[in-house]
Amino acid sequence: MTTPTPTLAVEVMRAPRLRPAGITFGIALGIVSVMTLAAIFAPFIAPYPPDQLDFAAVNAGPSAAHWLGTDALGRDLLSRLIYGARTALLGPLLVVIGSTIIGMLLGLLAGWRGGWIDSVLGRVFDVLFAFPSLLLAIMAVALFGKGLIAPVIAMSIAYAPFVARLTRALVKAERTRPYVSAYRVQGFSGPWIALRRVLPNVTPIVGAQSTLNFGYVLAELAGLSFLGLGVQPPTPDWGAMINEAQPGIVGGFFLPAIVPAVAVVLVVVAVNIIGEELSERIGGEIPA
Amino acid sequence: MSLLDISELTLDLPNGTRLLDGISLSVDAGETVGLVGESGSGKSLTARSVLGLTPDGARLGGRVELDGREVIGASAAGILDLRRHAASMIFQDPRAGINPMRTLGDHMTETLRLCEGRSKADATARAAELLASVQLPRPEEHLKQYPHEFSGGMLQRVMIAGALTSSPKLLICDEPTTALDVTTQAEIIRVLIEQRSSRGMGMLFITHDLNLAASICDRVVVMSAGRVEETGDARRVFSAPQGEYTKRLVAATPTIAAATGATGVDVIDVRAVPSIETERSDAEPMLAANGISKTYHLRGKTEVNAVVDASISIARGGALAVVGESGSGKSTLARMIVGLEQADAGDIRIAGRERTEIPRGRAARLAHARSVQMVFQDPYLSLDPRMTAGRSIEDALRLHTKLSTSDARARVLALLEQVGLGEKHAQARPRTLSGGQRQRVAIARALAIDPDVLVMDEATSALDVSVQAQVLDVLAEIRRERGLTVLFISHDLAVVRRVCEETVVMRRGRIVERGRTAALLAAPEHPYTQLLIDSVPRPDWAVDPVADQKSA
Repeated sequence: MTTPTPTLAVEVMRAPRLRPAGITFGIALGIVSVMTLAAIFAPFIAPYPPDQLDFAAVNAGPSAAHWLGTDALGRDLLSRLIYGARTALLGPLLVVIGSTIIGMLLGLLAGWRGGWIDSVLGRVFDVLFAFPSLLLAIMAVALFGKGLIAPVIAMSIAYAPFVARLTRALVKAERTRPYVSAYRVQGFSGPWIALRRVLPNVTPIVGAQSTLNFGYVLAELAGLSFLGLGVQPPTPDWGAMINEAQPGIVGGFFLPAIVPAVAVVLVVVAVNIIGEELSERIGGEIPA
Repeated sequence: MSLLDISELTLDLPNGTRLLDGISLSVDAGETVGLVGESGSGKSLTARSVLGLTPDGARLGGRVELDGREVIGASAAGILDLRRHAASMIFQDPRAGINPMRTLGDHMTETLRLCEGRSKADATARAAELLASVQLPRPEEHLKQYPHEFSGGMLQRVMIAGALTSSPKLLICDEPTTALDVTTQAEIIRVLIEQRSSRGMGMLFITHDLNLAASICDRVVVMSAGRVEETGDARRVFSAPQGEYTKRLVAATPTIAAATGATGVDVIDVRAVPSIETERSDAEPMLAANGISKTYHLRGKTEVNAVVDASISIARGGALAVVGESGSGKSTLARMIVGLEQADAGDIRIAGRERTEIPRGRAARLAHARSVQMVFQDPYLSLDPRMTAGRSIEDALRLHTKLSTSDARARVLALLEQVGLGEKHAQARPRTLSGGQRQRVAIARALAIDPDVLVMDEATSALDVSVQAQVLDVLAEIRRERGLTVLFISHDLAVVRRVCEETVVMRRGRIVERGRTAALLAAPEHPYTQLLIDSVPRPDWAVDPVADQKSA
């Protein structure tokens, strides 16, 4: 049987339309880069140390001295925002890396070996899916104490099934491809083909999808420190900042709560735009 | 006046690429015009522009007149009207063109009710009539069935019936039989010819297969790279091609007809291969498979006997063809030989060694790989998309030899040169290579391991004829130089005739006939072999291009 070769005409019609995604993507990339640089070089660019008190300007509005104003203790909000970016970005980054590594290895195992391993892992993933990641993080805090480490580990595990499910589906599709048979015929071993050839081939798509998790994790970790279970004061953190600003809201001082909240929203939206765009550019249909 | 008149048609993409350049052709009522060319020649695009199916933003120039009405620049309503009443089209893949969730009755009656305003009962009766006219056995019953219940050939007949619902004056067929087996193709062609003559339709028939075009078309238009290369009476174009391109195309097309003397078509044949070894019947064959069987047990379904008690043997340096249609088990046979599948029964010996089991462990894997290598059907899928051509070959080399990096690189280049590629191809990733180049890389990769036997599973089926000819040349060259033993799996009798001394014919997992290729093609004994040979399209005149050219 002859394999139908798509003709040029068909190719042309299938070609995706050029989308004016450039500007949005550029802005999103800009926001994330600025935040990242701010986090890395915080001591150099922050106008004040994050915990320097200025009782002369308590709950002050924006001014030349304090661009974004100050909080109830007179701490400079801009400086706290910049320092807060460190934990805000580091936590999700660790979770994304952790969940991607765990998820890809388990997904590869399930997709490549199939059979009972696939069934067992599938059930395990189902259970984890049913478990809200925030609840898992709170349990981890209850067991191992407050801070960044316990929630990060818990959420790495909670997010691994998303990565694993995608990896499994991609690997399952990939392993039926003739190039995998060709490697086998050449005498390469199964684990070598899986780890050295199939895994790198699915990595771009999985990686782009993992980027999307970054935003969710950021929001959830901020929520956790808002609840007082994550990063502990006096370390500046966006979630903790919102928490500390709560009493001020009653007094009509919205800025200390709004500034970190807007930062969370901006970064989450920006990261999602980047993730979506990356998945789209890398292309490849994402199997269910 | 002609039914379809295309003159000086041009098509430009928004980025300035000219895909069609001055196409002129015409189709009269009751006439079949073949649009012949290789992939990318613009033949589908030309046909699609007749129905206004052009890429977004494309600029068209020239004139396309269908049934006396201008298509280019026509309003959406005008084009709709043309599609409803003047012309319809059938496509290559019938499964892609039908909604899998709806019954054939829905598919067939929709147009009748929508375009002709028939009542439901009336439309159903008409649909059944049409299904009967395309030789489907139980029309009323079929109307309640879903597409997945049909084979590709039956579904293509449904698509033809569907295209006929609007009683078109012009039927455009875009490679309607390319995805089908040769016997099914013959049935479809019969149906098409019958409908054309009973309805007096004009037919524009797009195909890459010269033999097929020659067998059914009155006139042909040969296209290449968006231009018309040659137009004329089908017989004249194929027997005495004028243009350089057409000459090359005709020369590259393998035919099933027995070569009578120097036809120019048969440059490589049996003579090229030393046949001394085949005479020594007492010597152990290079590849011997004895009574191998494979049955698949699918859950909830009856078991499938993919291969039943098949025995083949190939002498050292010989070439054996396994011919059969889809589902005949020929690919399963190949996969068992290369160790991708485990045979249920029987044994396989290659170069005197037992190779029945799927190799386990490093030593067994490497030994099996050195005894047999395989070239797969689709070079677009059998090369790792992330690896450059050179790297693919180098990987295989380094697994099997202890060459240093620089030695391995040199060896890679030597192998690439052997298949007619060079240094710049070594750096290229598969997607930047053409189909023929990819298949050559796949061959070089197989040769890197220096196997005793090379299995080619439909290795040239996905390629254009001129590219196929190049790949077959490379294969012949390698056989001459290395005395490689080849197992050549194919559905294409014409190609087989060109490559292999001996042939076995498979049907539903069983070998039904075997023998020397020439003898088997000339005097088939098994009825199925006869059917296969009869189904291969061929012009109804004698092909003897050289003689014709001389007299012309």
